[in-house]
Amino acid sequence: MTDLFKKRLSSHLAEMLKYLRLVFTDYFVLAILFMIGAVGYYYSQNLNRLQMHIWWAPIVATIYFVLVSQLGRLATLVADPDAVFLLPREAEMPAYFMRGFRYSIILAEVIQIVLWFVSIPFLQRTLGFGQIDFGALLVAVIATKVFWLLGDVIRKFRLSSFGFEKRVVHRFCLPLLIFAVIFWGNSVVGAAGAIFLLAIFAVLVRNINNHPVVNWHIAIDDENSRMHSLYTFFNLFTDVPMIQSTVKRRRYLDIITDRIQLKSKNSFLFLYAHGLSRDTEMSGLFIRLTVLGAVVLAFIKNGWLPIVLPLVFIYLIGFQLIPFYFHFDDNAFVHIYPFDNRNQVVSFQKVILMMLIFVAVIMAVVVTIVNFNNLATVGILIVLEAVEIWLFVYGYLPRRINKSINSRN
Amino acid sequence: MTLKVKNLVGGYSAVPVLKDVNFDIKDGELVGLIGLNGAGKSTTINHIIGLLQPFSGSIAINETTIDQDVKKYKGQIAYIPESPIVYKELTLKEHLEMTMLAYDLDLDKAWERANKLLTTFRLDNKLDWFPDNFSKGMRQKVMIVCAFLTDAKLFIIDEPFLGLDPLAVNDLLDLITERKKQGASILMSTHVLDTAQRYCDRFVLLHDGQVRTEGTLSELKAEFPEAGDSLNDIYLSLARQGGRK
Repeated sequence: MTDLFKKRLSSHLAEMLKYLRLVFTDYFVLAILFMIGAVGYYYSQNLNRLQMHIWWAPIVATIYFVLVSQLGRLATLVADPDAVFLLPREAEMPAYFMRGFRYSIILAEVIQIVLWFVSIPFLQRTLGFGQIDFGALLVAVIATKVFWLLGDVIRKFRLSSFGFEKRVVHRFCLPLLIFAVIFWGNSVVGAAGAIFLLAIFAVLVRNINNHPVVNWHIAIDDENSRMHSLYTFFNLFTDVPMIQSTVKRRRYLDIITDRIQLKSKNSFLFLYAHGLSRDTEMSGLFIRLTVLGAVVLAFIKNGWLPIVLPLVFIYLIGFQLIPFYFHFDDNAFVHIYPFDNRNQVVSFQKVILMMLIFVAVIMAVVVTIVNFNNLATVGILIVLEAVEIWLFVYGYLPRRINKSINSRN
Repeated sequence: MTLKVKNLVGGYSAVPVLKDVNFDIKDGELVGLIGLNGAGKSTTINHIIGLLQPFSGSIAINETTIDQDVKKYKGQIAYIPESPIVYKELTLKEHLEMTMLAYDLDLDKAWERANKLLTTFRLDNKLDWFPDNFSKGMRQKVMIVCAFLTDAKLFIIDEPFLGLDPLAVNDLLDLITERKKQGASILMSTHVLDTAQRYCDRFVLLHDGQVRTEGTLSELKAEFPEAGDSLNDIYLSLARQGGRK
């Protein structure tokens, strides 16, 4: 079984490498370096303005570390057919999953330690953390990630573990408890608590050897959703054939889609409008980024950020929607029905235009409410939004689609 | 007594699909699991192979339940799912190797058996191909070959005939008969009733999550004398009655 994991791991790593090479192109690396630099600069500038014992510092620190503990997931590399093919080998699955745990823990802990390091100046400045506190915090951060991952292993077995196998418990409640104790109470007590919980999880995970009935549905769903989010990320940069999304009915959007006249020239408009409103993948990205942008803007007043951020968000959202152009390529009907393919780009542009205008309006409304005293900002923003959307939809989009088509052939 | 399902209540979520299902399969017996779409055939099978956990009741294979000894319980089963599931990244040969590895088969004997099966199902020249690209019928054949590679005591076959060519259907039935003679038990769910009538020793008729009736064809005929002579007639008349007693 451990051989099986090794074999799968090496092909998994080869696949990841293939995609990572496509992700980390020169431009993207430059953009990332620039972003890290900008965030770092912003962080160091604002550190100087912070004072000791600000009331919100423990809240921010707790949320930060609960979020940090979510990074680095359990890779098990199980696949759908395992439920059939590995049926007789279930007794050995605990060893298999523990291999996955040992592989996953390395990257997960590296991330934890780096982000712990990043938090040091902030905690020193606002909470007056000393060496012992930082040491205890590091122990807690590492231990939390270990039991977070162990909880995910236990979850894949059909075994009652006092509720510790529940994701909301081991992923959220327990880390929240530990970091709340550290930032409101005593850091050493928090670290001791984390170690204690780790010990409990270590005992629970030994139990699975005694009763190794795998909950295949959960194990396979977990891994598929992990791979799906990886592929979704890669899909932003290249075509990933494994991406399959789900569909929601969303009756309330019928008001919009019903307005499309059922004429041949609207065939692709019909497809794109229905597809984008019901495909959870794309609409999810769209909604998440729009809400995120609106929330961020609600906190930013004056300066150039209220103008730049909406433009960045509009670009990001539009950019992410582009792969949907090819969404119907695998559908035989698109090739069989007498569609006029010249309409495809125009239809796609129409839908994207509507969606981006929607985002632009929301962002503009938020910015207007926040910067009511500074209507010049609002004016400049609206003009720039219009220019950006026009350039994006009619300049960039068709070129980008052509490039993708050429690279496919 | 190979398989014994007792008072099984179960399903996917909190709402039970199966309500008190009871039946058994003896050694060397082929039992047909018959029922309309949604009657609970696949749910029953998912419980037997341990993909679902019963809400109550028990399932034992040769007196072992899954809670007593997972390894022993699962090691006795070979399963052919309704829709073939294959590994995207493995070739046909690697699928066979995977099965040999999983069931700890003796490699020489297993390959001897495998070559015979591959020839029977005309897959012998496709060892280096990827089953993921095969047609549904061919993938189904891959699942059949993998299952019959093993020495399982209980074969669970979920609707095997869809998409198989007539020759393969015939070969599959021969395989089933051969294993039956060697003492293996087989549970087969199907909608192809005339084939079931010819080959199955007994039938379990599921309706709405309950065993409506079970027995050999002559027992069924005796129970429902007005329904007709063939399994098809009996089943249709029962199904139209909506399972009323």
